[in-house]
Amino acid sequence: MDTSRTQTARRARDPLLAKTLVTAAALVTTLLSVSVADAATLRLAYDSAVGTAASLDPISPNRYYLANELVYSRLVMPDAAGKPAPDLATSWSASPDLKAWTFKLRDGVKFHDGSDLTADDVVYSLLRTKSSVLKSPLGSVLSIIDTVTADDPHTVTVKLTSAFADLPLLLMDYRARILSAKAEKGNLDAVNDTGIGTGPFTVGKYDPQGTTVFKAFDGYFGGKPKLDEVDVFDIADQQAQVQAMLSGQIDYVQTIDQQQSKLFADAGKFKVFSVPTGGWQAIVMMLNAAPFTDVRVAKALRMAVDRQAMLNLLVGKDGGTVSCDNPVWAGDPYYAPASCPQDIAGAKQLLAQAGHPDGIDVELFTSDLNNLWIKMAQIYQQQVAPAGIRVKITQVPSADYNNYYWMHKPLTQTAWGQRPADQILNEAYQSSATWNESAFKNKQFDDLLAKARATADFDARKAIYGQLQQMLWDQGGTFIPFHTNQISVVSTKVTGLPEASLETVHWNEVALAN
Amino acid sequence: MLVLIVRRLILAALTLVLTSIIATIVVQALPGDACTAYLGRYIEPGALAQCRGQLGLDHPLAERYLDWVAGLARGDLGMSLSTRRPAIELIGPRVQNSFLLGGVSALIGLPLAVGLGVLAATRRDRLADLLASGLSMAAMAMPEFVTGTLLIFVFAIWLGLLPAVTLVSSNATVMDLLPYIILPVLTLVVVLIAHILRVTRANVIDQLESEHAEFARLRGVGGWRLLWRHVLPGALPATINLCALTLAWLLCGVVVVERVFNYPGLGTLMIEAISNRDLPVVLEATMVFAGTYILANLAADLATIALDPRLRRSGSGW
Repeated sequence: MDTSRTQTARRARDPLLAKTLVTAAALVTTLLSVSVADAATLRLAYDSAVGTAASLDPISPNRYYLANELVYSRLVMPDAAGKPAPDLATSWSASPDLKAWTFKLRDGVKFHDGSDLTADDVVYSLLRTKSSVLKSPLGSVLSIIDTVTADDPHTVTVKLTSAFADLPLLLMDYRARILSAKAEKGNLDAVNDTGIGTGPFTVGKYDPQGTTVFKAFDGYFGGKPKLDEVDVFDIADQQAQVQAMLSGQIDYVQTIDQQQSKLFADAGKFKVFSVPTGGWQAIVMMLNAAPFTDVRVAKALRMAVDRQAMLNLLVGKDGGTVSCDNPVWAGDPYYAPASCPQDIAGAKQLLAQAGHPDGIDVELFTSDLNNLWIKMAQIYQQQVAPAGIRVKITQVPSADYNNYYWMHKPLTQTAWGQRPADQILNEAYQSSATWNESAFKNKQFDDLLAKARATADFDARKAIYGQLQQMLWDQGGTFIPFHTNQISVVSTKVTGLPEASLETVHWNEVALAN
Repeated sequence: MLVLIVRRLILAALTLVLTSIIATIVVQALPGDACTAYLGRYIEPGALAQCRGQLGLDHPLAERYLDWVAGLARGDLGMSLSTRRPAIELIGPRVQNSFLLGGVSALIGLPLAVGLGVLAATRRDRLADLLASGLSMAAMAMPEFVTGTLLIFVFAIWLGLLPAVTLVSSNATVMDLLPYIILPVLTLVVVLIAHILRVTRANVIDQLESEHAEFARLRGVGGWRLLWRHVLPGALPATINLCALTLAWLLCGVVVVERVFNYPGLGTLMIEAISNRDLPVVLEATMVFAGTYILANLAADLATIALDPRLRRSGSGW
């Protein structure tokens, strides 16, 4: 009794701050325990990156990624092996000339507003990607689509401008979501940010700068979701995401780096996923600008690098897979394996042949727009020096990079997300492509690319895509050292989330164990 | 006194106008505009022209600025160029949040800092002084993000008592925010205490060693009376000015602390608005910043005048 009073008296003399803290801590603990009670809420963090400009329209350049995944469905989605699997379409087939594709739609699919999915919705959703008003980045991906027609309420025919054997691969794009035509009265030019889709979750409250709430959609065609709710918190700072994960405020962080993964060693609480992806960071030479107009110079600059060492230094040895300047990643069905050890002597020889016996000076423009670029530039500078390649690194403001340096200066850096082989080859290397950043113009390459698309037999097609990848190694201007893994961390309470790309996840299967 | 206040307010209005013009010119001078920021890497010439037309960026800068001023006069903050929604929806909650965090930190931190400073000065070179001075030096040497991360580690991850980062909706009420501001407030208090404590201590020591304090002591004045009547009136003005600037700094959102705790404050909004080239939002945030600093300074000057009878009589100074 006596002692306790002395203790109280002593505590009372402590600074005001400590007292407030203790009281407040008690208050918070009560508050938090209340919110933990509704156990079927999955809590995610997301950095919309575009901040205030995020949009619920899945084809907007500023699309809210998790809404794309949770709220909307595609015609086809990737299975665990990356092959097209049914989503809204149950089966599909191509005409013999590969110019017309017919998709059979699933029966009894409901939109969140209770209306039925019909072929008209698919027609509307695919055609609006071509809108000259919306100018969606998806438009160029699907530019091969000419017309889309509804044959009957559950059959859609897509006619192409040229033959293409892998249309379903393009339609797996995470942005190629099916919207309700009724929502915007079929207006192809309207921004459709109603958030009405056919996915497992509805938009409960859209608040990209605060907390966005997705609610389970009981009428989901794939079965009622096991979760009641998914809350997505906007956490812009990556370190803050890690802190929130460590303290149990959230259940999943999509991207952490190699260093941070060590913080989640407690296997009782956390699972760390390392998933190979097709994403890459690169150094780009513009082949239409000196000194890279001579492809031997471009090749010398690519072959003088020790890629494995660069990978180990940048992302850790389990953080990626070495690439021989190949934009097609190892998980792609059309990937052609190659080996490309560092070859200083070969690089010197090529430079000498190209008229640079005393080596060459180049200026590499970089910025902190991408978190690997500057380090990659520095490692590159060191590694190629013995070949007589003297790299001057110039760092410029990140806000100016895409507008004034990338695709403007002869030597810059770039970063691409995962894309299927045909798509990345067309988007970045086809002669007339908008984002042909290395100014790679090769008639034979373009012809082969078109031929691959029109080849019905898989093995024959694969041989052509392999040839194209070899051509990029021989004559290309893009130095791609490796493809990155995505390292994620997930609470052990979460089940049904496979160690795979989020795009393959069936969100209705995800659950929380007690 | 009243004349002084009126004069100062007129001057404040002029300062605001000038600040807004400078901010407009600076944002314009940055490369790119709201449309290049919005479209990012996916720019096609047609899209750019169209976007500029939609946002009115094809009008001259002076015209857009005057439109903004006219809107402000009607109480209309205009549209945010990045969200294309009323700017007030962005600014309003952030002002509330920053004022809550900064206000609570100031309420706790400023009296504590001044009090400890006086204590350290009167107990010069004794244990209390050594502790206060030593700890404040340590706190001062540590950047906010280290202090914040350390506090998160101890109270959120290790003890599990408090939430690590702020997870609220963007129109969160004060009650929603309360559990989340404890660690950021603690961080800010630790950061601000050090500086003010040291300045207060130095000023009080100066005054204690001054001739008039010595004279008072010779007359037999001592203890609290000496401190209250002879030392503090001379020591506090400099401290008050520092407190005013600190208060303004706190109210306008401390970006580093906001980032560490994911706190939705004005500082983060300002940075986002600048990178989005969102001129109306940048201007309005600037107005809040400038206004807060002006008012804090005015309050400090008035307090100084109240403390110093000489200034009270002259009445002619700005």
